[in-house]
Amino acid sequence: MKTDVLVIGGGPAGMSAALSASENGSKVVIVERDEILGGILNQCIHNGFGLHYFKEELTGPEFAHRFREMVEADKNITVFTSALVTKIGEKKVEVMGALGVQTIEAKAVILAMGCRERTAGNISLCGTRPAGVLTAGTVQKMVNIDGKMVGKDVVILGSGDIGLIMARRLTLEGAKVHAVLEINKTSSGLRRNIMQCLEDFNIPLLYNTTIFEVVGKDRVEGVWFGQVDENMKPIDNTKKFLKCDTVVLSVGLIPEMEMADFVTKSRVTNGAVVNEFYQTDKQWLFSCGNILHVHDLVDNVALEAKLAGKFASLYAQGKLPPRTKKIPIVAGEGFSYVLPSKVYEGAGQVEVKFRLKEKVVRKTLTAKCGANILGKRFILAGVPGEMMSLTFDKSGATGRISLEIE
Amino acid sequence: MDKIYDCLIVGAGVVGASVFNKLTRIGKKCAMIDHASDVATGASKANSGLVHAGYDPEPGSLKAKLNVRGTALMPEICQRLGVPLKKCGALVVGDDAEKIANLKARGDANGVEVEIWDRAQILQKVPQISEHISVALFAPNAYIVSPYLFTITLTEEAIVNGGEVFLEEDLISAKKVDGFFEVKTKKNTFHAKTVVNSAGAGYNEVAKIFKGEEHPLLFRRGEYFVFDKQCGLEVPCTIFPLPTKFGKGVLVTATVDGNFLVGPTSEDGENNTQVTNAGLDDIKSKAGGMIAGINFRHAIREFAGVRVISGDDFIVEKSSLQEGLVNLAGICSPGLSSAPAIAEMVLELLGFENVEKKNLKKIQPYKMFKDCSPKEQAQMLKQDPRHKEIVCKCEKITKADVISALHRPLAIHSVDAVKRRTNAGMGRCQSGFCFTKVVKAISEECGVKYEKVLKENRGSEVAVGEIREVKE
Repeated sequence: MKTDVLVIGGGPAGMSAALSASENGSKVVIVERDEILGGILNQCIHNGFGLHYFKEELTGPEFAHRFREMVEADKNITVFTSALVTKIGEKKVEVMGALGVQTIEAKAVILAMGCRERTAGNISLCGTRPAGVLTAGTVQKMVNIDGKMVGKDVVILGSGDIGLIMARRLTLEGAKVHAVLEINKTSSGLRRNIMQCLEDFNIPLLYNTTIFEVVGKDRVEGVWFGQVDENMKPIDNTKKFLKCDTVVLSVGLIPEMEMADFVTKSRVTNGAVVNEFYQTDKQWLFSCGNILHVHDLVDNVALEAKLAGKFASLYAQGKLPPRTKKIPIVAGEGFSYVLPSKVYEGAGQVEVKFRLKEKVVRKTLTAKCGANILGKRFILAGVPGEMMSLTFDKSGATGRISLEIE
Repeated sequence: MDKIYDCLIVGAGVVGASVFNKLTRIGKKCAMIDHASDVATGASKANSGLVHAGYDPEPGSLKAKLNVRGTALMPEICQRLGVPLKKCGALVVGDDAEKIANLKARGDANGVEVEIWDRAQILQKVPQISEHISVALFAPNAYIVSPYLFTITLTEEAIVNGGEVFLEEDLISAKKVDGFFEVKTKKNTFHAKTVVNSAGAGYNEVAKIFKGEEHPLLFRRGEYFVFDKQCGLEVPCTIFPLPTKFGKGVLVTATVDGNFLVGPTSEDGENNTQVTNAGLDDIKSKAGGMIAGINFRHAIREFAGVRVISGDDFIVEKSSLQEGLVNLAGICSPGLSSAPAIAEMVLELLGFENVEKKNLKKIQPYKMFKDCSPKEQAQMLKQDPRHKEIVCKCEKITKADVISALHRPLAIHSVDAVKRRTNAGMGRCQSGFCFTKVVKAISEECGVKYEKVLKENRGSEVAVGEIREVKE
């Protein structure tokens, strides 16, 4: 099989990239490993999606459905579900599943596989390995898709957004959520989720606190938990026992980059290093959405993917602007990363995305090239949990562009 | 008495399964029982997965004899069962030439092929070796194997040749009636001419019920890290430090699946399988002394296993208190390597001749769709379209792979049992993608309600009920 643009992953990033690639004149194939398009959105039955993209508040399945309808109506897009990419090679991928085992060739490939949850193993959770230790995403799938209750007495480790959402969901389903434990001094979750999912239900959020040990042979019987010091090591005399039958983990997300480990990756985001065209250091390979960097809002994923899809489509047709001198963009003090990390010299607007390391109040963020200010933005307040962006004109840049807080 | 078994084996770990398999192959009517929901759920599922060359045990000990003999038998048995066994060799590394020479002398005494390597030779094999390592002992005849797949397939081969397995059995009592054992569990009554106690950590509880010898047991917990297949480690052979009195120390090895194991620790105490901060820190510092630059961020799981120790050697004996009872106690490391030889020894103790039946049936090996040739795959897709459905994305396991694992000679119904047979859930997402898919497959195929599906043993149900809107 051959196509112009091959999109790996049929979640919001993949669907948005595919639509945009098609709109820009390419034949597109989407390969999705699950049985239905939509990705994780299908299990996010809460609302709050689409405020930026569709200017209205939708649930996850509704957001996914709108994209799915557009994709299905687009004659230039062919979708294969239950199809798993097993290997990515130079301008081709190997698949298994509904298509049988075969190779699909493409002029451009877009990575849109999203991210996976960090697991008990990734954080070296101590104690035993009984039933009832689940990631928040698995809990979400069991409750929202399969209609099953995972437990009655719950402790949530980590205050990531899915954990917060599930704290509320499990409470509404009659479980007692005893606490959300966060090892850091701040939460990576959205402020609105902390208010709406914890504070409104009187669920305590304990900072600098973690699970020391999971107890239970066949089923979780409880956890030993307590505070950690500045090196994240448990402080023994703060140790307390909490009886529970379920431990839900919401301890971070990892871009699923293993299949494309031949490209240069960022040590901060764990996603590919890309230029302003969302192109990796393999010119035919593009990346967008949560596999590139973990986003806060699906709206931002869709918007980013739209750009990546357009550029991949232009690349497939040989229409991507010729490369000029490469200019690096670097994140200054106070930023954890900035993306893309390089642009090409010449005229044009570029939007960079970044996250802050710590909370910032009433500051101006600038993009500079030497003493030349290319763009700036005043912010009332910014937190690490929220992804931010800055758009500037790159025509004035002749060398390294840096992002700074002033 | 409707049915009298020649032998009842109590405890379905690798040792019990080896005895069960061997007895069945010589034509004995056998049953194997276990309290768990699957075989290989104790020490046999949580160890290094090594078939040791045999240089380490004290010369003249049962451990030495059974290890060397067992390891010699292993290739043929695994070939027969279709269980992957990889000869990778073992490298004991250190900076003390005298200690390495002493270990070589031990190897020579045990009749094991060993050679001493200098740093240049070590570097050639293991480029990532730590700086201070100057000398090593290399034993070529060491292997890696999946200890649970080995136990499972041994059990299944015995079943197709007439053996019977009863899981989730709780032993209540045993007595002699007309010279036979009458063994009562909560569900069944078994009659047997002989009994083998291979209950591992539960040895003494079983010994009490059968009025056999109890032995002082020590539980030695060993913690491990499991690494992602793509973690940057290059470990072409198993790498050990010099052994101490607490065992073989923290080793680094590949697994037959392509992952890596780093561990175990060695902590005496209760019979529990908890992972601790102290243990994991210990592994980190020790492994770092052998291999440079292990990145523990690539760990995908940590687990602990318990080795059951009774004195310095294995106990493989005929009970002198109870006629017809064979005691297998303290089968710690190298128990996996020795298991085939222990089975032979049990035969001898029971007075059976080691002559296998003719026309024994072969067991269909476990082979996942992804491991088949394109030609086989095309055939499989035609035969079972469920090979088109993806269950586990990390290990590339299809729904048909999972379903066929559920309908093998040994009936299973737990998520972890599926995991041990297919690897679904063993990958880097640790079942985030496949957990509910496996639960649903078990529910549909085994006729169990979703919420009653077990993670591992009874009491480990995956859910507690339905959500409100389903209930109402």
